[in-house]
Amino acid sequence: MTAAARWVGKEVVRKDAYEKARGLTKYASDMFPENLLWVATHRSKYPHARIKRIDVSKALKMPGVVAVFTHRDVPNNRYGVFVKDRPVLCDDRVRYIGDPIALVAAETKEDAESAVEEIEVDYEPLPVVTDPIEAMKDSSYPIHDGGNVSRRTRITFGDVSKGFSQSKAVVENEYRTSTQIHAFLETEAGISYIDEKGRITVVAGGQSPYRDQHEIVSTLNLPPEKVRVIIPQVGGAFGGKDDISVQIHLALVTWKTGRPARLVWDREESFLSGTKRHPSIVKMKTGASADGRLMANDVEIIYDTGAYVALGHAVLDVAIENCNGPYKIPNIDIKAWLVYTNNMVASAFRGFGAPQVIFAMEQQVDQLAKELGMDPVEFRLLNALRRGDVMVFGNRLETSVGIAKCLEAAKNTPLWSRQADFKAVKTYPWIKRGVGVAAAVKGYTIGALPDRGTISVELLLDGGIAVKGSFTEIGQGVVQSVSQIAAELFSVDIDKVEIVFADTDKTPDTSVTSASRQLFLAGNALKEAAKNMIKHVAQFIEKTYNIKVDNLRFENGYVVGRDFKISFSELANAMARSGVEREVSGTYEVPRVQPIPGSLEIPHLFYMFGVSLALVEVNTLTGAVSVPKLVSIADVGKVINPQTLTGQLEGAAAQGIGYALLEDPKIENGILKTTNLSTYLIPSIKDIPEIEVIPVEDAEESGPFGAKGIGEIGIISVAPAIANAIYDAVGVRPKSTPMTPEKIYWLLKNKC
Amino acid sequence: MRLRLSKQFSFVLNGEAVTVTCPPAYTLLEVLRHVLHLTGTKDGCSSGDCGACTVLLDGRPVHSCLTLISQVEGRNVVTVEGIGENVPKCYAEEGAVQCGYCIPGFVVTTAAFLEENPSPTEDEIRDALRGNLCRCTGYVKIVNAVKKAAGGIG
Repeated sequence: MTAAARWVGKEVVRKDAYEKARGLTKYASDMFPENLLWVATHRSKYPHARIKRIDVSKALKMPGVVAVFTHRDVPNNRYGVFVKDRPVLCDDRVRYIGDPIALVAAETKEDAESAVEEIEVDYEPLPVVTDPIEAMKDSSYPIHDGGNVSRRTRITFGDVSKGFSQSKAVVENEYRTSTQIHAFLETEAGISYIDEKGRITVVAGGQSPYRDQHEIVSTLNLPPEKVRVIIPQVGGAFGGKDDISVQIHLALVTWKTGRPARLVWDREESFLSGTKRHPSIVKMKTGASADGRLMANDVEIIYDTGAYVALGHAVLDVAIENCNGPYKIPNIDIKAWLVYTNNMVASAFRGFGAPQVIFAMEQQVDQLAKELGMDPVEFRLLNALRRGDVMVFGNRLETSVGIAKCLEAAKNTPLWSRQADFKAVKTYPWIKRGVGVAAAVKGYTIGALPDRGTISVELLLDGGIAVKGSFTEIGQGVVQSVSQIAAELFSVDIDKVEIVFADTDKTPDTSVTSASRQLFLAGNALKEAAKNMIKHVAQFIEKTYNIKVDNLRFENGYVVGRDFKISFSELANAMARSGVEREVSGTYEVPRVQPIPGSLEIPHLFYMFGVSLALVEVNTLTGAVSVPKLVSIADVGKVINPQTLTGQLEGAAAQGIGYALLEDPKIENGILKTTNLSTYLIPSIKDIPEIEVIPVEDAEESGPFGAKGIGEIGIISVAPAIANAIYDAVGVRPKSTPMTPEKIYWLLKNKC
Repeated sequence: MRLRLSKQFSFVLNGEAVTVTCPPAYTLLEVLRHVLHLTGTKDGCSSGDCGACTVLLDGRPVHSCLTLISQVEGRNVVTVEGIGENVPKCYAEEGAVQCGYCIPGFVVTTAAFLEENPSPTEDEIRDALRGNLCRCTGYVKIVNAVKKAAGGIG
């Protein structure tokens, strides 16, 4: 490896940015294959009902209709990563308001949409269960066979009662967080067609081409080699495209009709049928000793998964793993439930179960610091995990632990060190200012579950390299980061790196683009590929030129050894002439850890850490809260590209502000009332303040060039930092999100 | 049974005369994307909430999803494909493009805004872009991009 990095750490403008800004990039929703069928979905009118009859005869007679599909057309009508509980098209029952029942494929969009209205479904309404606490009772109507508790677990270490007896301060509270909708700007969208090799090909927004392919072949009972999945540039995902949306439906239409098809959900369908962040109820009793050490945490976590599990079992694990914050606590007792209701389906959303519990824990910590008369940052520093510590689950942290560095950075940030100055700024007498802090932890990679990824590299005849992997570009910039890592490892100009991504026909399986894992996995697999390429090239050179090479390395577009130098292009051409393979792959496997009893993926081997500082203004007349300034500090291991890194953290902060203050889905008896962007408000440019990003580099030796994950950490501590700032400003503690003006108004009113 | 009526509409699109045949109830957005397959203009909500579909109609930014094709007859439409390279270049260079789906709308709004106000303040920039939603960036780099396009920085 060359001493001074040429591409890693450098601010290089994203290669895909200009084309996107000109409107030239083709997303799945921009594709219109010749002779396509427009597909529309008939969805449930009830949040819970038995289906007595489905009659599609009228729809079939409508003009332009080519086919109508129901569950009868699906060979294996259940899918799901952890539990196969979700129908491709509903058969006996509908379980939430957006559940799909039938598909119409027609010659025009209008034909498809008109015919969908002609599908007749007779329902027998069933009791609608929307409160997870009600759902957990034995008397509750079962939404699935086996009852409404999909998963329950209890994890204990130490003895909490002993811990509380050693505590001077004990706080106990119940927190609630609401559903959050991803609201990516490109809704769930895709096309399908039969490719030149006769394969059913689905091109759709997603996060994992191989998993999508698996779900298609397992439900439609097709051999894997007959199905190809391509994920082009995706117009936002944030976890919301981790699950199946349009993919199986599209494959079904093309499989049965032989024709290309297009299925794009409208905004309302996306809001109803797309997955969401789990709403939560978290009860916490937390104790700390007189000298400020956290002694015990007794936690109950209830996550509402809605009608189906989706990725809920893993989300619950992340909740359990993160509910203690980035702290050492000798005694914990965590009980957790994942509960079915007739609400919309919850699954992955940036943070994956961590933001809800950190919202609780970081307010607990704030209260304990207050009760003990300690500075909130010093209190956190005193309890912060450090490398070599035993974490709450008995696992020793042998990898990078940057939380103390993040907290030190927070301490030295003007917003914290000179907070009195910020708070002294006077606007109107009814505006009160406050400053709050919160910390966060989250594992990256998929923990104790098997996790591996493969990347391949091809030497191109023009002297460039093609890097191939099934990572998906969902806006985060992984293609750019991988390009920079490749340019560094192969010592070529970045313009010589071509990235081929997310096509089951062309790219090896790098597994899912989630859990903040892809830069880490792809980067490490690329390192392996580079090593393998050196070996492969050495063999070729020895055989072809009959010279012994050693200490071979890549240098400025050449392969260089002792007394030997050949350009990439000469080498590639020579290999081509000899009929030698020019593509080599590398695989990285995350070292396995054993899951602790009662869990699936706890613990992780690798964790990222972060701290948010928020300055708020509370209008004591209306309860409205604004955030004039937010500081996001994250331990990123090593910055690969400062521009994409700060972009990730700024965007996560904005989503966190939306989650904390604005995003308020109204769900009445399982029915979403806020089905568009004028009623479900995501932050606009007027809602987002100055955001200052401070990357902290606590290098991870196992990561590519020391890098860690980054995608999720920025959102997790935002809402509790704002909650703590509100308390600092006006002395009331909002224990639920979103912290709307109405909520703050009544808290203030009841305080006096 | 719904009337399946189509009509001809003529307008100027990015400097060239075009004629399309489609139902009069089609929106300009539907004509651009579904009829002409000119897909730089994005469909984020079809209800005027997100601004991804912004185009210029006789030089003024409008939501193409709320503009019926019949309103466009004889008029001048400029989409992101017809906007000069300065604004998109500044968006790219400032790192304001992540997933990028909302960005064409921002680019069109920005181009029209800077035409009217070549040296805006940050508050004016935020006012001008309040109708365009972005879920990825946190807007920090978008503000920087507009400043740069106005010649303010870089």
